[in-house]
Amino acid sequence: MDFFTAIQSNLLSPAVLFFVLGVFAAVSKSDLKFPDSLYTTLTIYLLIAIGFKGGVAIHEAGLGVVWLPALAAMVLGGLIPLWTYPVLRKLGKFSVADAGAIAAHYGSVSAVTFIAATNFLKSIDEPFENYASAFLAVMESPAIIVGVILGKGVIGGGKFSLSDPGVRHALRDALLGKGVLLLIGSMIIGSLCGKRGMASVEGFFVTPFQGVLALFLLEMGMVAGRRLADLKKVGVFLLIFGLTAPLLHGFVGVLLGGWVGLSTGGATLLGVLAASASYIAAPAAVRLSVPEANPTFSLTAALAITFPFNISLGIPFFFEAAKLLHP
Amino acid sequence: MTLHPMRLVTVICEAVIEERIVEVLRECGAQGHTAFDVRGSGRQGQRSADLVESGNVQIEVIVKPATAEAMLARLHSEFFQDYAMVAYESEVRVMRPDKF
Repeated sequence: MDFFTAIQSNLLSPAVLFFVLGVFAAVSKSDLKFPDSLYTTLTIYLLIAIGFKGGVAIHEAGLGVVWLPALAAMVLGGLIPLWTYPVLRKLGKFSVADAGAIAAHYGSVSAVTFIAATNFLKSIDEPFENYASAFLAVMESPAIIVGVILGKGVIGGGKFSLSDPGVRHALRDALLGKGVLLLIGSMIIGSLCGKRGMASVEGFFVTPFQGVLALFLLEMGMVAGRRLADLKKVGVFLLIFGLTAPLLHGFVGVLLGGWVGLSTGGATLLGVLAASASYIAAPAAVRLSVPEANPTFSLTAALAITFPFNISLGIPFFFEAAKLLHP
Repeated sequence: MTLHPMRLVTVICEAVIEERIVEVLRECGAQGHTAFDVRGSGRQGQRSADLVESGNVQIEVIVKPATAEAMLARLHSEFFQDYAMVAYESEVRVMRPDKF
């Protein structure tokens, strides 16, 4: 399959098209609105479904196969803020707090972007390691912690102390927030149950998954669409950063994925994870611990620039890169 | 029926700091609290509440007048500068003053 067919097949998936519908609904100020608790319910469903599936895959493959790529994913997540921070400080002229905050968002990951990528791979019949959701689980926290430490100005003599109640709450959020808890929890459950357990919950967690995802992306489209107006406030630098950072991180992720022995599909997924930016766990943890940072910068970049880019063009890009780098 | 004057302290703030605010209110002497999700707009922009984390929460406690002032002073020194929030007190009358 050539590159343009790949892009086309990605853009014409129900998930992406419903996202576009959501953006349109927000931009056109439609009265469409999800009930408040539905967004949370859908998030919980998606996290449990992919966690459980990943756990069953770990049961099949064995931890011996999973630990190396998972460790690589975790280290990559923790390192991304270390190079994005100086770029944001020097080139972007952001304050210490803002640079740390944005770095935390970009090192951490977006579960929905990951799910969209697995969908894409399935739609083109490209095999991938089903335990890749373990990478998603371990990549969420490290970058948040590194970004918060940077955002507190530790490099310039600032203080990162556990006696600060904001830092304490943020650490708990980063390490035990609902994303990490549900993913790792259902992964453990899945790995204990194995295939037999999967057979018993398949009807609920696998069959309706695509429909739930479409519903979720409709809502995500509205959330992102409402933030499009903020693009004017964040400046040209962040616009460019929001597109180049995922490209660069994605290529590094793909490269690393091949080195640690992942398949083309698996390397694509690690690339997508590295390219994605968090808009749930990171904003809450950063807001609590680095309150001087302006959340409009990081959230607009992650949600209104990087997320749409990744789910539309990024995913097929990284797949092509994976094919080129690891033929 | 005898009614006793007390103060109602109301805090409207970013949902993300709800637990921290409740902690402070408790430390100042609140015996309990009521919280509900709200939405609206203010000087720092629209709080659309579409992501749970970008929502607002309203927290209310009934306390003795002196406690109310101490609470507002702590909220002022620890939160006002960094977070989108308002806090105020108003007079209420209750039937069982020892409950607060």
